[in-house]
Amino acid sequence: MKNPPKRPNPIADDGDEFRFCSTCAFSAACLESGYGKPELRELHVLVEHIGPFKEGEHIFREGDEFNAIAAVRGGTVKTYVNDAEGREQVQGFFLPGEVIGLSAISQGRYPCNAVALDTVILCNFSFPTMAALAARLPGLQAQLFRLLSQDIGKAALLAGNYSADERMAAFLISLSRRYAARGFSPTRFQLTMTRTDIANYLRLAAESVSRVFRRFQDDKLIRVDRRDIELLDVKRLEVLARSVLRE
Amino acid sequence: MNTIPPFDTELLRRYDVPGPRYTSYPTAPQFDTSFGEAEFREHARRSNADPIPRRLSLYLHIPYCFSPCFYCGCTRIITRDFGRSGPYLERLLREAEEVSRLFDRDREVIQLHLGGGTPNFLRPAQIADLIDGLGRQFHFSRSALRDFSIEIDPRLIQPGDIAAYAEVGLNRASLGVQDFDPAVQQAVNRIQSVEQTLATIEDCRRAGFRSINVDLIYGLPKQTLEGFAKTLDTVLAARPDRLAVYGYAHLPDLFKAQRQIVADDLPDPETKLKLLGLAIEKLSAAGYRYIGMDHFALPEDDLARAQEAGDLHRNFMGYTTHADCDLVGLGMSAISHVGDSFSQNARDLPSWENALDQGKLPTWRGMTLDRDDVLRGEIIQQLMCQGEIDIATIEDRYEIEFESYFEDSLRKLPKLVADGLARVEPTRIVATSRGRLLLRMIAMCFDRYLTQAADARANRPRYSRVI
Repeated sequence: MKNPPKRPNPIADDGDEFRFCSTCAFSAACLESGYGKPELRELHVLVEHIGPFKEGEHIFREGDEFNAIAAVRGGTVKTYVNDAEGREQVQGFFLPGEVIGLSAISQGRYPCNAVALDTVILCNFSFPTMAALAARLPGLQAQLFRLLSQDIGKAALLAGNYSADERMAAFLISLSRRYAARGFSPTRFQLTMTRTDIANYLRLAAESVSRVFRRFQDDKLIRVDRRDIELLDVKRLEVLARSVLRE
Repeated sequence: MNTIPPFDTELLRRYDVPGPRYTSYPTAPQFDTSFGEAEFREHARRSNADPIPRRLSLYLHIPYCFSPCFYCGCTRIITRDFGRSGPYLERLLREAEEVSRLFDRDREVIQLHLGGGTPNFLRPAQIADLIDGLGRQFHFSRSALRDFSIEIDPRLIQPGDIAAYAEVGLNRASLGVQDFDPAVQQAVNRIQSVEQTLATIEDCRRAGFRSINVDLIYGLPKQTLEGFAKTLDTVLAARPDRLAVYGYAHLPDLFKAQRQIVADDLPDPETKLKLLGLAIEKLSAAGYRYIGMDHFALPEDDLARAQEAGDLHRNFMGYTTHADCDLVGLGMSAISHVGDSFSQNARDLPSWENALDQGKLPTWRGMTLDRDDVLRGEIIQQLMCQGEIDIATIEDRYEIEFESYFEDSLRKLPKLVADGLARVEPTRIVATSRGRLLLRMIAMCFDRYLTQAADARANRPRYSRVI
């Protein structure tokens, strides 16, 4: 194949006893730290594949007891909370290879809801066992900290006084980089989240989301075909996204 | 592919086999009753989720006709009781209200079509009520390019009617003519004078309609070359912007009205082909462009321009300039195309009425398209609208290897290539000028369901002949 796949496979490969699924959030940590077979096997034993969750199915709800960190193996997960008026507030979208539920570590309970946006399969890591293992494997601990700080950074991404165009550019560039990091095409991907979800996440009206997409398309920044997005001018999008992404 | 294709009697005779008209792919016989209201609602909900949701195209089916035309294969109800339209309209608006709630408010209606039956069975005041009601439920585009059209039976037009249509925002009309020859009109039970027809065209012009279409049919009982030539001359003198020249499909087993037609009165295949040849010759001489299938347009009409720009599309209402709308069909038997689905309303009046009276949507059958359906649908669209398949675009968009994916289809092409209907190039498959009158033949090679059903339905003609 000439190009990397445009759309992430619904399920990443299974991996083997030396290597987790190619999208696994922890595989880099293990391999880079040069762990040998016994440690890997030990870590692999902690992993439990769960799912598939159907579109719209909840993975956990706010207040549920926290006992496992989950990495997305296939599909997209949305996290959200309901505000005092019962309105949904989207907190983030999690792509293959990304970890959900980290924000629950300190409380022991999930502080938000997580729902599958398409067919989702997860890798669950029992948290107590992983914590014990992390104490022995410094690489794993470092990776956990890295993931934690990324999670915090993501939440702060779209707070602040930015224009609709800046928010949208940052959103697209962020997706592009995250897909690229997992070996998928950085310029062509499918938006698995609905227009309403994007609007909610970017704190824009749904109509404004479409207006910005249309404007970007007219400006030859992107091409939109139903849910398929192609980034035509990454440089200009990056310039637009710079202040939001603090680069 | 704009110029009118040459005419080859021998070739057309050889390819006179039944085939779908591809106003949709998959075609309506594939729809299934396991698809119902819940599925329709779900597809509508999903259609709002696109980053740029499609605009809407509304089709409204008005089933009533005051007199049966014997050639007709449409779903219609014959009545002289004009009072029946009131309750029908009341339910139609109820259906519209229910359906409009499924679509996000910012989704503009760029196309609206009143079809039938006979839409002008309704009085202008009723049409005004209908359009006003729809305008409150849906978000009508204010663009000058919006297509708001009505099919007109000139026999029912009274002075002032057309001006009233324009008043409520209709800007296109399609007039049924078929043939002016009195013997033909008698044989098909449609007596319509030249005067009332031309007066209606004149009214449409005066009302500022953007485009006027005239429907003709060849292959009707008692039709002769002389008579049809006169009809063509009369119609061309009025210079409608568009012309549709349909081949009459005699399927009396399928369409009850056609049993009134005496088979012996039908022109023989030779004459039928000559009638088409005559139409093509006269339209060509009059400066019309060939759009595809049965459709012709003047070079300055939107359709001809859209085709030149590669911006032409085809749906249940024929050719259109508005790409990628979600099509919402309202009324008995109406077909919708929302997202990756097709669906059709109950085809008889009592079922349609009962559903609405019970607060349900009248979805009768439909289907959810898989990726293969969507892919083949796009290929057939390209053929019907541009006269060619752009292999690179298809490969890129659907991530397939064209040659291996369509191995079976490509195996059927050499026969068409040998007959000079198609040309296979590395990057595209082109309908030649000879093949353009036979686009259906090329499209049929890519129809997965035809191959599957070939044996099962061998004895029962479901489609009209290609010519």
